[in-house]
Amino acid sequence: MSKKVGIPKGLLYYNFYPMWKAFFEELGAEVVTSSDTCKKIIDDGVKTCVDETCLPVKTFMGHVIDLKGKGVDYIFVPRVISVERRRYLCSKFLGLPDLVRNLISDLPPIIDMKIDFYRGDDFMKKEILRVGKLFINDISKIKGAYEKSLKMQRTFECIIREGFSNTEAIKIMEGEKLDANTKGDLKIALLAHSYDIMDDYLSMGLINRLKNMGAYVLTTNMIERDKIEKGASKLQKDLFWNYGRDILGAGKYFIESEDVDGVISVSAFGCGPDSITEDLLERDYKRDGRIPFMSITIDEHTGEAGLNTRIEAFIDLLRWRKGEIMA
Amino acid sequence: MKITYPHMGSLNMILKTMFEGINVEVVEPPPVTNKTLSIGVKYSPEFVCLPYKINLGNFIEALENGADTIIMLGGIGPCRFGYYGQAQKETLIDLGYKFNMIILDPPHGRLVDFLKELSSYFPDVYWKDALKAFIFAVQKMIIADKFEKKLLILRAHENRSGITTKIFEDYMEKIKNAKNKKELDSIYKEGLEKLRQNATIKREIQLKVALVGEIYLMLEPFSNLDILKSLNELGIEVTKTDFLSDYLINSAFKLPQRMEFKKYAHGYLERDIGGHGLNTVANTVKYAEKNYDGIIQIFPFTCTPEIVAQGIIAKVSSDKNIPVMSLSYDEKTGEAGYQTRLEAFKDLLERRRLKNIKKY
Repeated sequence: MSKKVGIPKGLLYYNFYPMWKAFFEELGAEVVTSSDTCKKIIDDGVKTCVDETCLPVKTFMGHVIDLKGKGVDYIFVPRVISVERRRYLCSKFLGLPDLVRNLISDLPPIIDMKIDFYRGDDFMKKEILRVGKLFINDISKIKGAYEKSLKMQRTFECIIREGFSNTEAIKIMEGEKLDANTKGDLKIALLAHSYDIMDDYLSMGLINRLKNMGAYVLTTNMIERDKIEKGASKLQKDLFWNYGRDILGAGKYFIESEDVDGVISVSAFGCGPDSITEDLLERDYKRDGRIPFMSITIDEHTGEAGLNTRIEAFIDLLRWRKGEIMA
Repeated sequence: MKITYPHMGSLNMILKTMFEGINVEVVEPPPVTNKTLSIGVKYSPEFVCLPYKINLGNFIEALENGADTIIMLGGIGPCRFGYYGQAQKETLIDLGYKFNMIILDPPHGRLVDFLKELSSYFPDVYWKDALKAFIFAVQKMIIADKFEKKLLILRAHENRSGITTKIFEDYMEKIKNAKNKKELDSIYKEGLEKLRQNATIKREIQLKVALVGEIYLMLEPFSNLDILKSLNELGIEVTKTDFLSDYLINSAFKLPQRMEFKKYAHGYLERDIGGHGLNTVANTVKYAEKNYDGIIQIFPFTCTPEIVAQGIIAKVSSDKNIPVMSLSYDEKTGEAGYQTRLEAFKDLLERRRLKNIKKY
């Protein structure tokens, strides 16, 4: 019987799920995900974590608890240290498996694969074998599985660049048929970590809300690398968080290129990295003064009405600037 | 050039000694007060941590006093401190200040490279003078830290409330103004003697607590509402797990200490997560094994590495059967609330001791 690997639907799930899934399936394992985020999952997470933890991590813990009840043989909680040379992720990813082990008791074994490209990709070759050997003792097969997973990741990223959100791209890869929503007449850049905006429950369907109001939403993952690099080259000093750098780079690019009508940034309450990047971004937009900028903070208490009012007001502002609404 | 820098415990004393040793004019940032904090808070991002806010307040107050060059440390992450200088610079530019900002990135944490970079900003200074100034500054720092370590034990036994703090402050001022090593040694000897004379109270149950957490909060008394004094005045001996001299020595010779931390944290936290997260976990395990009565973790509100550590040391607490209390600080922290918590913690520790005595 094949072994079941549980993947929690939180944090970097939205960036790497197709890759992880392909890897484990090629190794002959069955992949199970946790349920969609719901009140119970968040409540479980909130109860487990210390109160200052950010909402995405609390939610992640809720998903791990959900998987515990699904009878999986392993839970995949990678220690993602770095996905680009010389750049880190936030501290919480560096200690994530430790946090999970210490906060939740009676867990099935955790696969704490280290993903670390800080000094190049040599390290991964060893780590792939270590994890692969949990399933099969065949080095060439394990390497093959890794190659396949990288291929899936490239396909996934291509689909996103066509204008699909990460969540939509995951659905497409599972065989669903969706249309890319590039219709809206207002172009809005939504600059945020994927785990803050891709989980519809956490962000209260922010992307769909914007789409329904006639916006064409652009996330950092949809933007071409060279544009982000161009924006990031204007930083005084290279930023050491890769996702934060993507957000800042994209933000700086849009100030120059002016090909969006408005920019919205979303961050979780108390987010350490975003406290700095958002300040720098907001300052740039204020100095420039041409493109409207709004920042939204989410936490477990966020009220839907408040969010809606702010988005509606922002969209009205953009339409008014375009001359569609008379004052 | 009129140079200034942020406050962090006894850092002021050391940097002043060093820069004056190479004849660079220093504008000391005014002592940290509530005014400093409110200036800092006004111009800082909402969720940034307390050290950032206090630093920014320091810079503004020092610039108002005529400083024109700011020295700040950088970093390579993942702690956000590594980007503070850049963000603060932008803020100060928007506020209309004219200044020069020197942000020193320790390339790989090596002291030699760091000093080389530093010297490139001061082309008129001789290498030899700089080295002499640096060595004397380090000597002062080591003496000051040694003196503070004694204070944290002796103040718990003081005869009259407040007397040791007074002596300590007087002698720290003397250390700050000392001109040579000999003078330094005699000040230390005399100061220690005075502390001892005034600390003669003995208790049947003597509690010992280790203070772990984020380095700035541990070094700067203003930021932690002088928790060390509060604990000492409750009659508790305190071991502070981070001193400036430790920090400097450890960044110069990084490896041995990191190995030690990794060894202690093994089984709880398997790698460095930025900031002082690993130190906090390692020190909690270390002092739990040394049979301390309790551990207190202090850190700035929203500090990600410490939040991760906070979750983990809760597990250490139950595994090793030692009370752990985590306190996070921001600009709104009220003193009375924290005092109550410290007193309750002390009561808890005392009862545990009493229970153990009865058992045997």
